[in-house]
Amino acid sequence: MIEVPLQQSDTVLLPERIGELTGLDQFGMAGELLAAFLAAFVVGNLMLAMTGVAGPWAKRKITAAFTDRIAVNRLGPAGLLIIVADSVRLLSKEIIIPENADRPAYDLAPIVVASSALLGFAVIPMGSGIHLADPEVGLAFVFAVAGIASIGLVMAGYASANKYSMLGGLRAVAQNVAYEIPLVITGMSVVIFAGSLRMSEIVAVQQETLVALGPVAIPAWFAIVNPFAFVLFLLANFAEVGRNPFDTPEAPTEIIAGYQTEYSSVYFVLIYLGEFLHIFLGGAIIATIFLGGPDGPGPESIGIVWFLVKIWGVFLLTQWLRSAVPRVRIDQLIEIGWKGLLVLAFANLILTAVIVGLIA
Amino acid sequence: MSTGLEKQTPGEVTEDELEALIGDRALRRDDHLNAPGFVIRPDDVQDVLFDLRDEAGFDHLSCLTAQQYEDRYESIYHLKKYDDPTQEVSVVVPTSTTEPVSQTAEPVFRTADWHEREAFDLVGIDYEGHPDPRRILLPETWQGHPLSLDYDQEKPQIVTLSEHANPIQPDHHDEESDTMFLNVGPHHPATHGVLHVKTVLDGETVVDVDPDIGYLHRCEEQMCQQGTYRHQIMPYPDRWDYVSAGLLNEWAYARAAEDLADIEVPEYAQIIRTMGAELCRIASHMLALGTFCLDVYGDFTAVFQYAFRDREVVQDILEDLTGQRLMFNYFRLGGVAWDLPEPREEFLEKTRDFLDELPAKIDEYNDMVTSNEIFQVRCTDTGILEPEVAKSYGCTGPVARASGVDYDLRRDDPYGYYENLEWDVVTRDGCDNYARVLCRMQEVEESAKIIEQCLDLLEEWPEDERNIQANVPRTLKPDADTEVYRAVEGAKGELGIYIRSDGTDKPGRFKIRSPCYHNLSTLGVMTEGEYIPDLIASLGSLDIVLGEVDR
Amino acid sequence: MIGLLKSMATTMKHALDGSTFTVEYPETAPDVSPRFRGVHKFSQERCIWCRQCENVCPNDTIQIVMDDKRNGEQYNLHIGQCIYCRLCEEVCPVDAILLTQNFEFTGDTKHDLVYNKEQLKAVPWYKDIDPLESREPDRGAWIGEGEGEVDYQ
Repeated sequence: MIEVPLQQSDTVLLPERIGELTGLDQFGMAGELLAAFLAAFVVGNLMLAMTGVAGPWAKRKITAAFTDRIAVNRLGPAGLLIIVADSVRLLSKEIIIPENADRPAYDLAPIVVASSALLGFAVIPMGSGIHLADPEVGLAFVFAVAGIASIGLVMAGYASANKYSMLGGLRAVAQNVAYEIPLVITGMSVVIFAGSLRMSEIVAVQQETLVALGPVAIPAWFAIVNPFAFVLFLLANFAEVGRNPFDTPEAPTEIIAGYQTEYSSVYFVLIYLGEFLHIFLGGAIIATIFLGGPDGPGPESIGIVWFLVKIWGVFLLTQWLRSAVPRVRIDQLIEIGWKGLLVLAFANLILTAVIVGLIA
Repeated sequence: MSTGLEKQTPGEVTEDELEALIGDRALRRDDHLNAPGFVIRPDDVQDVLFDLRDEAGFDHLSCLTAQQYEDRYESIYHLKKYDDPTQEVSVVVPTSTTEPVSQTAEPVFRTADWHEREAFDLVGIDYEGHPDPRRILLPETWQGHPLSLDYDQEKPQIVTLSEHANPIQPDHHDEESDTMFLNVGPHHPATHGVLHVKTVLDGETVVDVDPDIGYLHRCEEQMCQQGTYRHQIMPYPDRWDYVSAGLLNEWAYARAAEDLADIEVPEYAQIIRTMGAELCRIASHMLALGTFCLDVYGDFTAVFQYAFRDREVVQDILEDLTGQRLMFNYFRLGGVAWDLPEPREEFLEKTRDFLDELPAKIDEYNDMVTSNEIFQVRCTDTGILEPEVAKSYGCTGPVARASGVDYDLRRDDPYGYYENLEWDVVTRDGCDNYARVLCRMQEVEESAKIIEQCLDLLEEWPEDERNIQANVPRTLKPDADTEVYRAVEGAKGELGIYIRSDGTDKPGRFKIRSPCYHNLSTLGVMTEGEYIPDLIASLGSLDIVLGEVDR
Repeated sequence: MIGLLKSMATTMKHALDGSTFTVEYPETAPDVSPRFRGVHKFSQERCIWCRQCENVCPNDTIQIVMDDKRNGEQYNLHIGQCIYCRLCEEVCPVDAILLTQNFEFTGDTKHDLVYNKEQLKAVPWYKDIDPLESREPDRGAWIGEGEGEVDYQ
């Protein structure tokens, strides 16, 4: 039997490590697969647990802080047990499926929405050795996978046989198309800097020191190297995941809840989970390509902590924006996307290319 | 009338001139307490109203009251001037009981559209030439007209589903058209109650809007007709505009009934009324701001909660004063129920504290809302309501004032203690959603000024002259067939009450002129051609309360 | 852009100052004004069965049953139908019916909210506030009870 490593990278990936630790790597392909599955299981559950905390608890607490309220505090310390209570509540509800729903599209949509986001985490280096796969086209993969979600949204919107859902689904598509391009193009400017699409290399490049101010070494995070691209990417990302001020596909006061109007019980949970996963995936991408991934003070082994801090920072930012920024209208949103962000993204790309070309 | 022409200010029309203007078309006079009334033939309606509007300047059809007597039906057009609402004239149009048909006034005043639909719906007068003669408050299938004399209250109304138009039916799969029919409401997060807006969309653009009201029709007029003047009517006005404008509504009834029964209200009570009413206005505008931001921001977020927090303080003060947070029942005919609560100093201080903190809070709103660029982009140049359109639709209150119509009954038709106080009427000429928000926020500041002055007056008022109620008999029986129409400036606009007494201790006809009703009727003009989000925002900026629209 | 940042700064300020304006009911019972109008309390000893409250009630919430000698037998009040206008208290010449500050009442069905005489007598004061004192300070004089304690059984 000949061992064929999946990657040529020098980083040790989580499946390999699990394989070593459990001795599964002795069993060849099957062992490798099992190890990969175990690793994916660990990462997937970590992310699901985070959304579980974020959805029923953190979001409430954060919103309450912004609005001078108390929020959940009855069950458990600081109301944390509400997570359990809410899960039981949501999962025990009856699934109501509209009469004219177009099945199986209606049933598949929540799964597509939730799983597409989970897939994206496969190539994210989270520090402390938690990194599932490191393909050469890591960044392209993560954008591609995250983009699948819009298919899920339009499926949900179309299949629900509800006009509000339809409007929401169409809005979601229009929005994703308009913002995917600036998102990817801004991401490309990072690739020009790093010279690679491989996530581990993008992270590695950022760990170098940019300037040393005495004892404080400022790392070469791309957010610091090119803050303009960072802001562009942040904006495009909020639109991509449909958060305020770009939450038009949901727009509860306009089209009730958009594509998720007709979803209930488990399906609703899946869509809801998917949304949070997308926020976190967006946060993970931002952390990886702009904020140095798991980079931070302290030993390398606590990288995962820094990584999570960065993701949660992005999540907090979404909630902060939610508290203070009105939703833009759909036509304004599209206008900002095509006439504003796209142009700026190209300008940024060309400038970056020129500057990198001059320096290198 | 002996008043010479030379004493009149320009633009003022004497009764002689009115008589000359209407001429032979006036069959006889039927004066009301508030205005001269002219009885005309049912086929002269448009003629006379056109003349009154164009020649004499009565450009505000404030209200249309329809009622049935034993021998006739009657429609009364209460006309006013936007420039000077103290000048009023009533045009009375009697029609026979057997064939109640009257000419429509819709070509003269757009607002007559909804008015006449309501008159047809509740009383049963047909308006010839009306462009849209449907029922408005009751369902299409309703049998009979509830306010007509021969209406059988006992007969059950059975509306089967097959008889009733299914709102989902016609819109599905209309192969011919490119438009989509959408029911916004009655269960929709942003309709501010049970409002149903039948919307036709072309993509995201609104092509046609038809507000379908009546889901909250609670027979308020009939309930008032069954209550005694002295006590039993006063609790109900609180329930028209129920969100927090209670005292303003009570004042509308109090003003009409006090004029009807000729009751003089003590000055001290007027000051308390003025203060209470302005507190209610602040509470109501805070809610308007909060819910409008809810519509634009999209979630129960900061602005909404902050507005509620500030409204809460006002409600605490009102609770101390009246004993209730929303349904005050605080006014009495001839005064108010209670003096300021003891210890007075504490109450005055609490209210002053609120006023002292208010400017900082308003600054905060300005930081958060009005100076926010995205908010500005969302609100400017959407929901445009031109001043002439606003007048034609009978718009009043902040909606009209934000369109540059300088009309405020507190100043133009003074009541209470307003004329002795220093304050300004806020007008803006933006005509859009943004102007309406700003107008309300500035009115809050003006209200605070009024309250401040009232507090000073109340504090210094000599203790032995604190007379809170006039001496009013326990049973009021105004003379039969006295009619009065009186309006006050409610939180949403001109809230008018028409009362006809029939010699008993209960009104013969009680008609409510609701400002929200008229403001809502402009929704179509404001939003056609705009996007769905603007439809929602414009609806929010009108600040309607369905309890008052449907009554 | 500046306005946008200003609004974000405002909400952040609120988030950081840690103050809340909501309270934890029922742990912190809200303060109600002395004038607040809650559930009724009835005093049979004071009632003279003049039926004025029944007459004035705007929506027929109060129902009084008397025998042929005009002695009161029943005094029923539907506290779910009541609109809390306080007119019954206002017209009562002997303060037999009072609106307490008590706003905490529940029922599984609407019929549970139909209170009879005994239930109305048993309504507790809220935080021991006697509404009579704050509402009409000089009324005690003409009832003839003087300074003495008013006993509501």
